[in-house]
Amino acid sequence: MSIPERHHTVERLDRPSAYYVGKNKKRRYNDEPEEPKDPMEGLRDATTLYVGNLSFYTTEEQIHELFSKCGEVKRLVMGLDRYNKTPCGFCFVEYYTHQDALDCLKYVGGTKLDERIIRTDLDPGFEEGRQYGRGKSGGQVRDEYREEYDPGRGGYGRAYADDQRQREEEEYGAGR
Amino acid sequence: MADYERRNHGPRGGRKRRYREDDDYDRRQRRRYEEPLVVKVRRQLLTIAESAARRAEDDALSIAKNVAENYEDEELRNNFIDISLDLVLEQPMKIPFIATTVLTANTIKSELVDDVLKGTAERFQHNVDIGAWREVKLLLRFLGCLQCIFEGDGVFAILEELFSRAVDLQTASSEDLIGLELVKIILYTIPYVMASPATGFESHALGLLEKTDIIASTPHTLVDLVNPFGPDSDKSSSIPSVISLLQRQLQAESTRGWELTCLPRPWNNVRDSDESPKRVNDGSKHPFPEVSIPNPVRNGSRAIFPEVYLSVYGDQDIETVPPTSDITSSLLRDALVDTINIMDFNRIATAKFLIDLDCYFTPNIFVKRATPFDRLRDLPSDRSTWKPEDVAVDAVFSQLFQLPSPEHKLVYYHSVLTECCKIAPAAIAPSLGRAIRFLYRSLDSIDLDLSHRFLDWFTHHLSNFGFTWKWSEWVEDLELPQVHPRMAFISGALDKEIRLSFAQRIRGTLPDPYQKLISEGKEKDTPDFKYSLDTTPYANEGREIMQLIRRKAADEEIKPLIAAIEEQATSLGVESPILPSTDAFVTAICFVGSKSLSHVLSCIERNKERLLVIGPKSPAARRQIITSVMEYWVDQPGIGINIIDKLLNYTIITPLSVIEWALVDKLSAGAILAKTHVFEMISATVGKVTNRLRQIVAARTQPGLYEPQLSVLDETFTREKKDMHSLFQVIEDSVVSVASGSNDELMERGDGSGNLPEDEIIRQWGKHWLRVFRRKAAVEEAYITDAMANATPVGTNAPTPPPAQVEEITPVDALGDGDLDVADADGTADIS
Repeated sequence: MSIPERHHTVERLDRPSAYYVGKNKKRRYNDEPEEPKDPMEGLRDATTLYVGNLSFYTTEEQIHELFSKCGEVKRLVMGLDRYNKTPCGFCFVEYYTHQDALDCLKYVGGTKLDERIIRTDLDPGFEEGRQYGRGKSGGQVRDEYREEYDPGRGGYGRAYADDQRQREEEEYGAGR
Repeated sequence: MADYERRNHGPRGGRKRRYREDDDYDRRQRRRYEEPLVVKVRRQLLTIAESAARRAEDDALSIAKNVAENYEDEELRNNFIDISLDLVLEQPMKIPFIATTVLTANTIKSELVDDVLKGTAERFQHNVDIGAWREVKLLLRFLGCLQCIFEGDGVFAILEELFSRAVDLQTASSEDLIGLELVKIILYTIPYVMASPATGFESHALGLLEKTDIIASTPHTLVDLVNPFGPDSDKSSSIPSVISLLQRQLQAESTRGWELTCLPRPWNNVRDSDESPKRVNDGSKHPFPEVSIPNPVRNGSRAIFPEVYLSVYGDQDIETVPPTSDITSSLLRDALVDTINIMDFNRIATAKFLIDLDCYFTPNIFVKRATPFDRLRDLPSDRSTWKPEDVAVDAVFSQLFQLPSPEHKLVYYHSVLTECCKIAPAAIAPSLGRAIRFLYRSLDSIDLDLSHRFLDWFTHHLSNFGFTWKWSEWVEDLELPQVHPRMAFISGALDKEIRLSFAQRIRGTLPDPYQKLISEGKEKDTPDFKYSLDTTPYANEGREIMQLIRRKAADEEIKPLIAAIEEQATSLGVESPILPSTDAFVTAICFVGSKSLSHVLSCIERNKERLLVIGPKSPAARRQIITSVMEYWVDQPGIGINIIDKLLNYTIITPLSVIEWALVDKLSAGAILAKTHVFEMISATVGKVTNRLRQIVAARTQPGLYEPQLSVLDETFTREKKDMHSLFQVIEDSVVSVASGSNDELMERGDGSGNLPEDEIIRQWGKHWLRVFRRKAAVEEAYITDAMANATPVGTNAPTPPPAQVEEITPVDALGDGDLDVADADGTADIS
């Protein structure tokens, strides 16, 4: 068609996040000469979303209830603590169509579920193993070092809490 | 597809930090360089009129000067043209301001305007060719604002041509909707031409209006179908069709010298320092850009239905939105609705436009933002009492409640209201409160589909704002019978809230009188297993089956227990022994899988073979599966209907069995029609069937399809279409008996007179259900007829040599068995 490509006058919300783009950038450092990739590559037909900042207590049913507003949910994979196998605050939601996944980014990402603002990101697809947290103690990495108290995500970050405890013990010992 | 400018109100956490870096970077740069002109112009253009603190006219002048005086700067010039047209198509409320920059530029360098018109013509031609009527309307609005720079009749020539196309279409068919759409475009263009600096076109406008009258004022046959209130309601007559309303308003406006008070006239106020305003109509004249309107015109991707004008603020004692007697109502609504529907890719930007509404129209037609409703009483009587937030919210609701369905998923409109509430809680929340009260009061008369959308939005909205609502004001309604629409709404709402949260949390948000609505069972994560009570028939077998399922035992181990139940049942004289055995089996699956949806799904998956053979044995057995699931989850029906939905996907049960279960077995004299989750379940089931058929239609009508696939697909299509018809027929037959009061059970209740207080309410439910599913049937029928009009006839053979694309149509074979799952069907549809 002879018509010039239409640009958007404001940002679109159905784009991969800075996190996803950044992650891909890092990869490119290793094989330098490659052309800069389009961030949408690998996501062009993506039907899966990564969903983050869930409370550890949010159930599959609650997630299903909200996410099915954008289309039928094909599969829901809860993110689990690597050691305890308990929910650790993220999940993957797979739809039947790419459009449903985009709509979810636009309409549900950044709104509340179980009274927490959730984060959604387009994902190239779930693979076995990805349901587990990658943090040292089994949960998500962000929950290791978090300095704020978050009752929905197990209180303080685990490494941070351990640190604090240790310091307290040391100081207590020094005082004596 | 790069975006022009990243705004710093992006919703993603990660952005924030990046912006700070960007800012630092800019600051360092600025010390060394001036901002390039093209960047400045781009920024001014993109944000024109957005701030009440800046005069849009000054920006228009600055942009026009910079671009016109640097005409030879190609990058600058092209940026200006492209962004201007992008804004016209994407941010319609800015059209008069974009037009002002062009009109001003015309007084400086008319060649620039030649280029703008050339670009406009290209985009117009493209959109008119593909039948993108909203885009056509917006480009015409832009040209209409520029009317004074055209030679001769300018935009009227094209309006006349559109009108003659409309006449052709209307003459050809009384059911035509494209012609109506064209007339609507004409009518929405006229006010912008008349508000533009052009003079002397009154007779042109009047002449057109006289011609459009007959088309615009004749109600379309489908207009009742989209009325938000049923034909029995006295409210339905207060809902005018958009096109007839606009026709009347324009005629009224023509007798008032085209005041058009709401439209801004930025072109009248472009001034250089202290000089008097520029006379924009003194610029040089241009021939109207050459465009051709295809004959006949075609429709684009959006299905057209008649539109009606709905306001949720129409019945207040103080006017907070323009009345339908004032053309302002239509002009604001049109601009807002387009903005909302175009901007679905950034709900935050949409919300911002809605909140800033008063920047884009004549400022004094509104009261100050966030003026409390009660304060409106104190305003002098000659002052406007229109609240900008009410006008904005009203427009969102008009889409949320658009029949048969809005342009985007309903959840988009939810999200816009959520964002509005986040940006300006003090202004928006009270407006939503008044809308909620209006809708609540209308529950007995509003279309059932819409009361359901209301329920869904209401609960979703509350879930974003801590579940706070003034429940105390509805306490009196708790005395109403269970089947009363208001009671049904309250129970349905609490249930939905619980589904998004959990029972204990919701209990904590409710005043005392509501506590009894949250039963103990709702707080139980794992509902009791009835076979753990020895008093339950077949308790031992039930328990053993449950243990086996929990152990993931093989079917051979379960088999003898099923047989044992059936034997016992037979000896007890049970007519269908398969029912008690199915009950035990399915209930056990529910119990073992009660931990979560994935647990129950893997339970179902493991026992799929046995489940799949139950269904074909008897329709009663199929329905027993549904009964067992819904009874196990009786306190949390949301989970139950979810499982039913998955069982449909596994083809363990059929859509027909779901319909029969609810509307035949469990009809309970019609009382079931008042249950919101039953409506949800039936709608979802019907939706599954109609979606599937649409996918088959898409496969059947894809171009380049030849025999033998053609016949295979056509057979599938014919068979599934018949199935869909019989599904709708079952609903019709069952519900019609309730609506007319001829249902046997209904007649046998009480004294048999059918005069119990609840009987009339139940008959009303019947009528509401009928209306929804008759409409659904009609819409699907229309879709199929429309799509099949262009289908390749059966018997068409591939031309020799066969074209290359035939090879791509492999998924067609998958369709042949008529048993594909939804995902495959999507793949097929994509080919077309």
